[in-house]
Amino acid sequence: MAFDLFAKENDLLQAAHNVFASGSHEDVLAYAQRLVSQLAESMQDNQHLTRHSDRQQKKLVDFNHNLKTQAVELEKQRKSFEDLSQKLGKYLSPQVHDAIFSGRQDVQITTRRKKMTVFFSDIRSFTSTSESLQPEALTIYLNEYFSLLTRVALKYGATIDKYIGDAMMVFFGDPDSKGEQEDAWSCVAMAMEMQEELAQLKAAWRRRGFVDPFQTRMGINTGYCNVGNFGSDQRLTYTIIGAEVNVAARIEAEADPDGILISHETYAHVADHVRVEPRPPVILKGISRPIQTYAILGRSETLTSPVQIQISTAAGAAVDSQAVDVTDDMRQQIVKELRTLLQRFEHSAVQP
Amino acid sequence: MSNANIIIEATDRTPQLQVLFDQGELRVKGESYPEDVATFYGPVIEAVRQLTASCAEISANFELIYVNSSSMKALYRIFEVLQQKKTEGGVITIAWKFEEDDDVMQELGEDFQDRFPELTFLMTTL
Repeated sequence: MAFDLFAKENDLLQAAHNVFASGSHEDVLAYAQRLVSQLAESMQDNQHLTRHSDRQQKKLVDFNHNLKTQAVELEKQRKSFEDLSQKLGKYLSPQVHDAIFSGRQDVQITTRRKKMTVFFSDIRSFTSTSESLQPEALTIYLNEYFSLLTRVALKYGATIDKYIGDAMMVFFGDPDSKGEQEDAWSCVAMAMEMQEELAQLKAAWRRRGFVDPFQTRMGINTGYCNVGNFGSDQRLTYTIIGAEVNVAARIEAEADPDGILISHETYAHVADHVRVEPRPPVILKGISRPIQTYAILGRSETLTSPVQIQISTAAGAAVDSQAVDVTDDMRQQIVKELRTLLQRFEHSAVQP
Repeated sequence: MSNANIIIEATDRTPQLQVLFDQGELRVKGESYPEDVATFYGPVIEAVRQLTASCAEISANFELIYVNSSSMKALYRIFEVLQQKKTEGGVITIAWKFEEDDDVMQELGEDFQDRFPELTFLMTTL
């Protein structure tokens, strides 16, 4: 027979039929006594059951409330951690930040040897230029300058290593890489776009009164470097070191103002994309071998869009020569147009 | 013929349960809210009846975390069997164990003590 939780109660109810059927007064009296006793017992059971059920209900409600409170607290902590991560992320190259937080990059002191393309830039005669500016203006111009360089660097996937005063160092090849050749071309293309955008920025500066804006030198080299975490357990820096890094820095110092100078190793990867002017090999201080370098003249393809020459009407009018990247035919055409424009200005006192 | 010990492992909804005939012991530990209390506790109550029939001294240990209402009804049936054995001269020892901060289980043990005054529940914190 299957177990019945209410067997006693059911038995008592069943017995009632027999008792009433018997018609015996003694049987009915005995049954009534059993009934009262069972009723008292059932009432006590019900009270216990109800109380126990209420206690457990309250415990569950309190538990649920605590869970909700903890969930709110956890969400606050998660948000706080996310905010902190974003703030700290500004001090790291985005790729390094992402690599650490995704688990791809560890924070141990480890390095690896890889072929990298390294880029240096700085501002020619920064010290004398900065002395001629008010500190507030210098800050504004420098911020705009570095914002531009940084934006273009990130656009091309560069890992921004550091800013040192007016200098900037970035590299390609770690933590992300598209291969040696593509990394080298990305770096050179980045540098060219930087110089193109800087030309426009300088034109805007001249209109704002900065008559002799920054001239930027850029140097690029490709070679094997050690890349990774350097430092101690307490303080790490993610960077690259090696002789090829020093070569890039020295090449940059030899670049023309507003120019890009690349090493032979870099040129070997990008020769199909750029027009260059070979420079005599230079002996760089501290580097034993002579370094063959090439000045970037422009992209291999001929310009098809109209050349725009910006002439400032403020004191210190200048033609922004870096915006001009033309063939000989086009150069002659520009000279002819300029002569015509010059004649118009010379013969008209009021309106050109 | 001696009865074989009954050992039932705990599940998400039912407690670990042991009826040890060779030691005269009943052990119940864990959470109890079975889907079908009759199916789970029916054989257990019958086993406790057989335990009281074969052993003069019985030790019952309860270490429960959660007990739903129908399980409580089943525990009443078990204590009724033990109380009957006590009335017949048997020696029944009941240990009711609970976590120090679990006032729900403590009060449940006290309720059982009220309900079965002939039995002695030894209340012990874990």
